[in-house]
Amino acid sequence: MKTPAPAKQPTPASRNEARTAASFDTLYRDHVDQMYRFATRLCGEPEVAKDLVQETFLNAYRGYQTFRGDAQVSTWLYAIAARACSRMRRKRKGAPDRELSLEEFIPTSEGEFRLQIPVDGLSPEEALQNKELRQVLDRAIAKLPKKYRMVLVLRDMEGLSAKEVGSVVGLNERAVKSRLHRARLFVRRELSAQGIAASEPSHNGHPFMQGGR
Amino acid sequence: MAKRTTTRSVQQKPAHRHGKGRCVAILKKLSAYIDDELPGTLCEELRKHLGACPNCEEFVASLRQTVALCQHQPAPALSQAERARMRNDILRAARPR
Repeated sequence: MKTPAPAKQPTPASRNEARTAASFDTLYRDHVDQMYRFATRLCGEPEVAKDLVQETFLNAYRGYQTFRGDAQVSTWLYAIAARACSRMRRKRKGAPDRELSLEEFIPTSEGEFRLQIPVDGLSPEEALQNKELRQVLDRAIAKLPKKYRMVLVLRDMEGLSAKEVGSVVGLNERAVKSRLHRARLFVRRELSAQGIAASEPSHNGHPFMQGGR
Repeated sequence: MAKRTTTRSVQQKPAHRHGKGRCVAILKKLSAYIDDELPGTLCEELRKHLGACPNCEEFVASLRQTVALCQHQPAPALSQAERARMRNDILRAARPR
């Protein structure tokens, strides 16, 4: 006797897949812009950044079940992206990372103490309306050895705390701060070595970085 | 980064004269200083030094400016079409038929 074909019911596996797809869509919608921004800052080139974003979300999709929710979703994604970025770089076999020593950042001539770029009297936003300055800053960051660039991008550009950066890159806070400091000094030196003319008449904005401590 | 005996002059800035060891000791603390993370006594000591050393003061200002520029550097955004295309590519790769 022929048994009737069972009515097509969703299997636990297909239900699971549907749930994962729905969660993925939310994850993707909420974080794709953030990850693209991060990837662009790390890689510089838009096409490489897109590859990195895809790799990141593909790994996130596959590892979604392992996300325990004890970290912020964005920190988890940053960590996936950071690992994917290291893998992609290893494939491209770039120059090995060099260590930055504090001694190399001690100014040796009078002109090196200040930035040779038009920032005085301008807010950072106003100063960055100068395209040449944006390009010089991008180039300075791109020149950083990659492990220093990773920390600077996460802390000063993405706005993570030193502790969060540590959990993304697998370092303690002290090591993060040491790397960050050298990265900042490196970028500062690059900016002080550049001569950029003011491209626009000065604005009547807030004085650039007055006050503080 | 000059010896504490240096007098500050607006017209004529003193040369950068303190020894390398002292420079590194000061240089080491500057990110912690601008991030407000130095313990009170160290911070006070550094602040006094900066007040007496225009070169160091300029250096700290330039480091602060560098950090502020990094914090505000704009980044390009994806177009709606790129976002959708990438989502489809990811799902295709995640669920091979």
